[in-house]
Amino acid sequence: MVPDVGASPVSNHIRRLRFEHKEMTQQALAERIGVTRQTVNAIELGKYSPSLEVAFRIAAVFGEPLEAVFQFREPVNPRRRG
Amino acid sequence: MSFREKSAWITFVLLLAFGIYFGGIARHAMNPTAPHANFFQLFVLLVVAIVVVEVITHVFIAIRSPAEARTPGDERERLIELRSIRPAYFVLLVGAFLSIVTMHLGVGTWMLVNCVLFAIWIAELTRYGSQLYHYRRGA
Repeated sequence: MVPDVGASPVSNHIRRLRFEHKEMTQQALAERIGVTRQTVNAIELGKYSPSLEVAFRIAAVFGEPLEAVFQFREPVNPRRRG
Repeated sequence: MSFREKSAWITFVLLLAFGIYFGGIARHAMNPTAPHANFFQLFVLLVVAIVVVEVITHVFIAIRSPAEARTPGDERERLIELRSIRPAYFVLLVGAFLSIVTMHLGVGTWMLVNCVLFAIWIAELTRYGSQLYHYRRGA
């Protein structure tokens, strides 16, 4: 399955899942997981990788396991972080 | 644009007003004999004006998005705030050391205080500028 977005190593299917759940808006999802709409947008676009807690909350809203919502792809040349 | 991003924009733009004060200080330092404003009065006036405008504009944007204004920042907003502190701290540190250097160049206490204030101002601009960068480009 090809992830919906994928600029960051963590990609997700949130956009598709929102539409499969009665076209849930970003604002509605944001209110249910306790973040701002802008943060949901940043997660969807791959500009921000959420914490485990928020990732689990998103998965719980859609009733899906975490790996059905988020995918991790090892970067080709991962930068060393220190 | 989120409440906190608007807040950062407001503070960043208002902080730029201190350029009037530091511009005056710079002109005075280059030409001490020329007539100049009362810098203490100008500084106090700017602080009061900025605080008043800051409060009014924040009340205005809070009225427009009350729910967001009431709730604390989410994890992304907190991360952006933390990330912006690092470059600002570096700027402040460099500014503080350069201020110490001015003592050895023979400048007085008054100019030393202004050098420290200038370092704080640039550090704050860096902090809010960095926040705006992360809000726009992603955390």
